Amino acid sequence: MGTFNLPQYVYDKLLINCLLAGIVIAAVYSPVADAVNIIVNQTVPVVQYSLIDTRAIFTMQQRFWPDGEPIKVFVFSDNNPVHKDFAKNNLNMFPHQLRRVWDRMVFSGTGAAPVQLDSEQEMIDKIANTPHSIGYLTGKPNNEKIRIFEYR
Amino acid sequence: MKKYAYLNTGKHLMLYGVLFCLPGIAPAGFLPEEIQLHGFLTQGFFHSSDNNVYGQSDDGISPGLTEIGLNAAYQPFNRLRFAAQGLYRRAGAVDDSSVRLDYGLADLTLLTYKSGQIGIRGGRIKIPFGLYNETRDVPFTHPTILLPQGIYFDRSRSLLRSADGGSFYVDQRTNYGNFAFKFNVGAPLGNNQEIRSTLLGPNAQGEFNAQPAIATQLAYEINGGEYIFAVSYMNLELDYRPSAGEPLSAGKTHIQPLLFSAQYNGEKFTLTGEYDYRWNELRDFGPRISDFKSISESWYVQGSYQLLAQLQASVRYDVFYANKDDTSGKRAAAFGLPNHIAYANDWMFGLRYDINSSWMLRADYHRIHGTAWLSQADNPDRQLTVQDWDLYGLQVSFKF
Repeated sequence: MGTFNLPQYVYDKLLINCLLAGIVIAAVYSPVADAVNIIVNQTVPVVQYSLIDTRAIFTMQQRFWPDGEPIKVFVFSDNNPVHKDFAKNNLNMFPHQLRRVWDRMVFSGTGAAPVQLDSEQEMIDKIANTPHSIGYLTGKPNNEKIRIFEYR
Repeated sequence: MKKYAYLNTGKHLMLYGVLFCLPGIAPAGFLPEEIQLHGFLTQGFFHSSDNNVYGQSDDGISPGLTEIGLNAAYQPFNRLRFAAQGLYRRAGAVDDSSVRLDYGLADLTLLTYKSGQIGIRGGRIKIPFGLYNETRDVPFTHPTILLPQGIYFDRSRSLLRSADGGSFYVDQRTNYGNFAFKFNVGAPLGNNQEIRSTLLGPNAQGEFNAQPAIATQLAYEINGGEYIFAVSYMNLELDYRPSAGEPLSAGKTHIQPLLFSAQYNGEKFTLTGEYDYRWNELRDFGPRISDFKSISESWYVQGSYQLLAQLQASVRYDVFYANKDDTSGKRAAAFGLPNHIAYANDWMFGLRYDINSSWMLRADYHRIHGTAWLSQADNPDRQLTVQDWDLYGLQVSFKF
């Protein structure tokens, strides 16, 4: 009765191939999530905005557009997956950091919180119909009154 | 004596009812969009092995801390904003239910530019002090039920709560982080019985009046608040008016806290530390209380970790010495008070459960060595207080 012995490198190669196959399968079959885009009403001036500007807008610290018009900010609730994605990937922050700043302003009387919306359809309607507004959305907006906000 | 072991049900139900109706008003379009309404409600329950916190917590459960805040902001013009918050508070024997204007201010933006703004506020303004003072009563804005009491005293909160006066502020954004500067001048408010007993002992009968005080803060935040550093300074002067026949004369008290704050906010881990160095001076109180200068010292280190999406655990060690040159309380003993009134070292373990974005439940456990921050009203006989004690707290909070 002979034992079935293979050299070690064969096992290593098998293992690597299995892992690679797993990654490919996972990549093909996982739902591809659309990236979240920051969107603005068409009235918002097109100028060079930075990440610092964008954070300042969503933390309600920059309150006016370069043309002097007041910024209207719309967001989803803290637990909304799109909001979490937006905070992390678009602002490079965590939702709890945004919440901390908003709560501190609202409850000390030193500032306002953004208006909170419930659905992406509501977001599209609000941004389309509110001049000087900013919000965010999964994927690309399909509305001529809305454009993607470019920064840095 | 279970003096506080009941809830004033009728009054509470009415207040709760009003509060829960409000969130529906704004979205329903009854209010113009220039007006924002927000509010919070919190109810705390306390039990202690010894000593009383927010009512009769010793050998019982005290529902002694209730707070309801309601605020409105109105922006009639781009650069002018009005904001006000009313606060209902019931806190043990220190405050048996009161409704006060917590802040009420006009905010004028003088200058706004691409990287910042400059403005002024006038009216009743929250005092910027450390990381938490401006929202000290709003449970959602800090991780544990009790703030570190060596710095954010609850018993003498009227000195820290808000002040009537003006404020000048500057916000400046740079590529290296954001700076926020506030300079406030105003008279702090409130009933100062607790402050009186803190400064002059339990037998003083007169009244303290706060003179216009300076409160200033410089804060620096990196990467949207991932790292926060702040320095806060206050300059408080209190004038004493003795009651008739009291063996104390019209003295003055001068208090200057200097507070350093640092915080790291990661995705799941938060580390916070604050250090307070406070100059105190008593003078001209007559032969009973000789002129006296001391330095109070307090610091704490606090770590919080988000165990689950809705569950956060916190650990804190908090140290307070009323006089850093008399950490064992010899002076208190000379006045016939327990020596442990001079210090408090507090180990705290807390859990916070965010049920959803409106409701939050949390529990604190404290192991405390010393009685320095216990309120006089809840512990009228200091001889009955105990040096080493346990405190359990449970709190339910709502906001909109």
